[in-house]
Amino acid sequence: MTKPKVLRLGDIDHAHDAWNSLGELAELVEPKSRSRDEFLEECKSGAFDGVSIIYRTFGSVSISGLFDEELLKELPESVKFVCHNGAGYDQVDVHACTSRNILVSNVPTAVDDATADVNVFLILGALRGFNTSMLALREGKWRGHPPPPLGHDPEGKTLGILGMGGIGRNLKKKMDAFGMKTIYHNRSKLSEELAGGAEYVSFEELLQQSDVISLNLPLNKNTRHIISTHEFEKMKRGVVIVNTARGAVIDEAALVAALDSGHVFSCGLDVYENEPEVHPGLVANPNVLLVPHMGTWTVETQMAMEMWNIGNVRAVLEKGKLNNVVPEQKDM
Amino acid sequence: MPQDRSALLIGGITHAKEEWEACSSLLNLKVYPEGSRDDFISKCRKGDFDDVFVIYRSNESTSVTGPFDEELVRTLPASLKFICHNGAGYDNINVPACSDRGIRIANTPIAVNEATADVAIFLMLGALRRVTIPFNALRQGEWRGRNFGLGHDPKKQTIGILGMGGIGTAVALRAKAFGMRLQYHNRHQLPSDKECGAKYVSFDELLETSDVLSLNLSLNSSTKHIISKPQFDKMKDGVIVINTARGPLIHENALVDALKSGKVWSAGLDVYEEEPKIHPELVKNQNVVLLPHIGTATLETQRDMELLVLENLKEAVQNNHLKTPIPEQKSSRARI
Repeated sequence: MTKPKVLRLGDIDHAHDAWNSLGELAELVEPKSRSRDEFLEECKSGAFDGVSIIYRTFGSVSISGLFDEELLKELPESVKFVCHNGAGYDQVDVHACTSRNILVSNVPTAVDDATADVNVFLILGALRGFNTSMLALREGKWRGHPPPPLGHDPEGKTLGILGMGGIGRNLKKKMDAFGMKTIYHNRSKLSEELAGGAEYVSFEELLQQSDVISLNLPLNKNTRHIISTHEFEKMKRGVVIVNTARGAVIDEAALVAALDSGHVFSCGLDVYENEPEVHPGLVANPNVLLVPHMGTWTVETQMAMEMWNIGNVRAVLEKGKLNNVVPEQKDM
Repeated sequence: MPQDRSALLIGGITHAKEEWEACSSLLNLKVYPEGSRDDFISKCRKGDFDDVFVIYRSNESTSVTGPFDEELVRTLPASLKFICHNGAGYDNINVPACSDRGIRIANTPIAVNEATADVAIFLMLGALRRVTIPFNALRQGEWRGRNFGLGHDPKKQTIGILGMGGIGTAVALRAKAFGMRLQYHNRHQLPSDKECGAKYVSFDELLETSDVLSLNLSLNSSTKHIISKPQFDKMKDGVIVINTARGPLIHENALVDALKSGKVWSAGLDVYEEEPKIHPELVKNQNVVLLPHIGTATLETQRDMELLVLENLKEAVQNNHLKTPIPEQKSSRARI
């Protein structure tokens, strides 16, 4: 009996033993391609025939490009599972996968703490206005001339979480320790236990009542630019925006305009619409805190993510099914 | 008569001006917003402040009159009975000199706790990620940059708090929310209901077993350079050091050496030995996170601090008593 075949797109950085041990159960293959065109050709050449499981990373998009309709059409019929190493899987067209009976898994939970930690860092940095101080100090100007305006304490302020999934709930617990009151909006209201005392509000109410708005929702066709000009207009003057989800949930140009007008006091961003490009209006603004998509970039979390994703490959090899599928496919 | 007595404001009040002005019903209000040490001392000697009963001063006003050292305290008017100080730290006041003269001092604890602890956590999270590298790279158009590496999660790491006072406790409560193990060292162990679940350890054990060391103790003659080469040598390899207390608690040269050797993986600092001067090797070091002593720089906290000073001032005038006297003068041994 031939062993099943697993195709790996992207690197394993930490869980080498766990990956290699899959070799007992399956043939592990990698592409020779270095670009999307080459990858599509390699698919057409039959090099991946018989592959049933694909392990892919966020970074592998530099080889294969997005897992869209065009690419999925070139994959061999044998592909039945795509295991994506990441919580956000907007690089994968799940709908197109579903229509080919390909199941998609992502990595929830393992990402929660690290992402929420960066989220907290950005909330504090934006509210307190640390950006100018950090830059002035390094330029030898101590606090700067003129010294920066005073920031704000999180204590007693309202945190509005848009998207109360694993990361949002993790964030809420941490911001409780800073004395923030949390309200949230989600597709559906959570149980009291899961919400942990946070108040469920409508999208409108979230925009109107929040002092800090944190974006913790996935990017898909419904949520692209969910925060744009109209939404900024509804927010409190002096609001702080923080985004560790996906850049495109915010209309970046509209954010710059709202910052320039002073309607938005500050923002803390880990993600951008067109990474690695950052809107120059953001870089030019002294009141914002910008970091380059590093939410899960810790030794411990990267290891845990790889282990989870490898675990999903192993689950298919051993049991014929994934440990988790993306929410859109839960009824498949 | 109350109007025979004066309050002297040295430096400024920014957020509680109205409340200060309202004190005019209790005493005369005098101000010394700017000047110099020599000018202030000569005015004291001339008798310009001879009816001053209470002084409102701040850490910032040290740049106006210089520190309240023995020389200056000796020239203060005989009428002076209270110094209401705006700042949790008051290392710029010579306490024994004041006690000898029967002058009682209040500082502003509690009001500073949350804001300072917020800075400590920001610095800790930043240091755990060595965030300065990607922060700078992005601004230089390099996205993450070539020196970007993986950081560490706080979860399950041990934070050691040196000085579990109001600020240290606020840091502990926050660190707990990140899943950290808590331990602390204090002059004396706290009652168990005040420990926040933190383990009391000796100073040496704190140094030897903490993954993150947070300095939250006050600066005085016995705590200056409490963290120096011998202490760094005892610490775990790859430790992270956070200081939001006072710069001179750490021997800055020794810290620079410890960073160079890799003993200290990263540091998060809001304070420095000779502020605003910072050791150039720290300023250049991309592995550390540096803020320019802005622990309490928020509108809300600055106002709360000013209001607390005025509460102490009113309490002094009306009841010959202070709301938040400094610890050194609280016991009967102070003989005030």
